[in-house]
Amino acid sequence: MRYFEDLEVGEQFRTPARTVTEADVLAYAAISGDHEVLDRAAGGDPDGVPAPEFLAFAVSSGLGFRVPVDQPPILAFMTFDWRAVAPVRIGDTIHCRIRIAQKRPMKDAGVLVEKREVVNQRGEVVQEAEYKLLVARRPAS
Amino acid sequence: MARGSDGDRQYFEEIQVGDEYQSPGRTVTEADIVAFAGLSGDYNVLHTDAEFMRSSIFGERIAHGLLGLAISSGLGSRAMPRPFATMAFLGLRWRFKGPIKIGDTIKVRLRVADKRDTSKPDRGIVTIQRTVLNQRGETVQEGDTEIMVERRPARTAARAHA
Repeated sequence: MRYFEDLEVGEQFRTPARTVTEADVLAYAAISGDHEVLDRAAGGDPDGVPAPEFLAFAVSSGLGFRVPVDQPPILAFMTFDWRAVAPVRIGDTIHCRIRIAQKRPMKDAGVLVEKREVVNQRGEVVQEAEYKLLVARRPAS
Repeated sequence: MARGSDGDRQYFEEIQVGDEYQSPGRTVTEADIVAFAGLSGDYNVLHTDAEFMRSSIFGERIAHGLLGLAISSGLGSRAMPRPFATMAFLGLRWRFKGPIKIGDTIKVRLRVADKRDTSKPDRGIVTIQRTVLNQRGETVQEGDTEIMVERRPARTAARAHA
């Protein structure tokens, strides 16, 4: 198991990619109860149907767990700062670039600051976020 | 447009700093958490391993932070008699202050905190303060959302001033 102590500032990961489908948009509308996203998706945008921004955000959060490295035990998601830079459209395939930007040890755990970029199939950054996560320290043996 | 008439939605001009809304409540269920794990792909033990979580500080599985955000976004749309003419979500600063557990009932309070122009004449940016509260009135999540909102289309404006 990798603990807070084992993570290094500057480490970078690239997640696998995932195609955002119409089924994802419907599932997101059902779970969130936000049916306005369906109205917005029905707007007839000639460039394609935009997916809800928070759907792409949720998908990118899950992609982080699919990086083939030993995942540190996350105790809590503390805060995030997120920006949508460009639309994600149905049929787009997104992956995430993750960089450990900062580490702050605390008494019983550590705060990990990750910079994340969501990137589409053309290499364009569509969303940017900074996550603050509470990660377990190595238990005293 | 997706909606029938302009009167259904609040355009940028109508939205006032200080406007407040409160949503109905929604009980977060185990099914919501399982469905969100499937949708996001986040199967972290915090949300999916009942046995492991029994011995954690939470004592049980907790909802994904982003599930709380997604549900609060849906509640927000139900808080408004006339939804904003939202074009896109631009940004979010968010704090998770406490867990949402299975069976908790959450509601969202919205307050328009800021309005500003953009370089494009057909839209503006609105900042909304969102507070997610549980059944005990405790704030479990809070933050600011920035959204892009349409201005009233010129044709309609002309009619309104005739």
